[in-house]
Amino acid sequence: MNQPRSGAQDGDNLVDIRDVRLSLGGRQILKGITFSIPRGKVTAIMGGSGSGKTTLLNLFGGRLKPDAGQVIVDGQSVPDLKTKELYELRKRMALLFQTGALFTDLSVFENVAFPIREHTRLSEPILRKVVLMKLETVGLRGARQLMPSELSGGMARRVALARAIVMEPMMIMYDEPFTGLDPISKGVIAKLIRELNQSLGITSIVVSHDVPETCSISDYAYLVGDGRIIGQGTPAEVQQSKSEYVRQFMDGLPEGPVPYQYPAGDYVQDLLQGTA
Amino acid sequence: MNTLRALGGIVINSVERLGRASLFLYEVLLGSWELIRRFYLVVQQVYAVGVLTLLIILVSGLFVGMVLGLQGYNTLVKFGSANSLGLLVALSLVRELGPVVTALLFAGRAGSALTAEIGLMKATEQIAGMEMMAVNPITRIIAPRFLGGVIAMPLLAALFSAIGVLGGHLVGVGLLGVDAGAFWSQMQNGVDFRDDILNGVVKSVVFGVVCTWIAVFEGYDAVPTSEGVASATNRTVVYSSLAVLGLDFILTALTLGEV
Repeated sequence: MNQPRSGAQDGDNLVDIRDVRLSLGGRQILKGITFSIPRGKVTAIMGGSGSGKTTLLNLFGGRLKPDAGQVIVDGQSVPDLKTKELYELRKRMALLFQTGALFTDLSVFENVAFPIREHTRLSEPILRKVVLMKLETVGLRGARQLMPSELSGGMARRVALARAIVMEPMMIMYDEPFTGLDPISKGVIAKLIRELNQSLGITSIVVSHDVPETCSISDYAYLVGDGRIIGQGTPAEVQQSKSEYVRQFMDGLPEGPVPYQYPAGDYVQDLLQGTA
Repeated sequence: MNTLRALGGIVINSVERLGRASLFLYEVLLGSWELIRRFYLVVQQVYAVGVLTLLIILVSGLFVGMVLGLQGYNTLVKFGSANSLGLLVALSLVRELGPVVTALLFAGRAGSALTAEIGLMKATEQIAGMEMMAVNPITRIIAPRFLGGVIAMPLLAALFSAIGVLGGHLVGVGLLGVDAGAFWSQMQNGVDFRDDILNGVVKSVVFGVVCTWIAVFEGYDAVPTSEGVASATNRTVVYSSLAVLGLDFILTALTLGEV
């Protein structure tokens, strides 16, 4: 965990992003961003809301295409893949959505069984064993008959995690895994992310703005702001960074390089004018 | 000038949307082929879309038939041909009211439910989640619902007509004293299988395809917010109703061959 290593300089990277630019709805989200995700580690991507973190995950998964630059996952250029190849790649990656994105019409058991039923022809007894093992990993074997509407936020996310690992992917992307959870659930999710990374040897990418939780579990951290990487290093290095951007984010300061005010005209003039 | 520009914008948007809807239909039809070996997914949807719509269809059919019986009797009796009541009720239902009213009710009950369900699945990232699990949501979610609607609609229309005839019988024979033998035999003689029943079936199949297509497309294309899903549901009912009424005229004109 304290190895002084840089993902960007490592030869064995699972994901390589090179000079990626992307505009959505007329706004430039990514402005030439370059970084790599090392294999088998927990890498954090931190940054404020709207800094383009989730957009990055969508690029890895091929749900968005960059305007320019390269997105390479496991040696394959994602934007150039055909639909069938993209689906083959996606079978080896999992994305844990912020909301969990469980299927509301299926029980917990069926939610976890869903990817197996879609992609394999396992017999029912074996499928049952696999699903129960994954549910046991997240501590929810007893909740298998519940419907998603009966779960708390933390439980829903754990079920989604069980569903994400059921096909034994090479990488899991966590989109804001701690948002909206109580401290106990946060701790449980953090422990699970770390444990799964070690026991299954999965590459984990944690996108979050929750500084302490994310730093506690990650091997390497990137800070994204204004569509670029504004800081990187081990969590300890990032926390001691002198960069103004990094300091503002890590210390949660309202004013700094990221302005508090949304750009607006002169205040007095605005008040004196009659119309909105 | 601005009005012209706005008008142009609306036309371009509509054409673009129609294009997207057509491509979407093509993908759904492709996805439908893959459902042959997983037909249980379609059966589930026939239940959700069809069986759960049964109550409103049967009750409406009964009352429409009863009203036809009353109105028809009052008009026919003036010409001394009250015995033709069975024929009048059956033809009105099988050729027109059965398919059209069923389609309108179907759009209101099942179509809006389909749009809301798919729109909410999109809003809660279930569709995105499925894509990320390498499962094509068009094959897994949209195609079964589409086929379910297309299969359910003609069956519902047939049931509507059948119970409507019973409603007409109830009022005509039971209350107004039309001869039961005349009621049924006139119907049997006058209703042609090809010209009347088959035309009605063709109509209900076409309405089924159009209503379900609109419903699933609006859901899939909805802006993933509560407001977006609400307006998509709204559009489903409005567009389906307009499409059904417009197509009904065209299909009737084609089958009668007089326009």
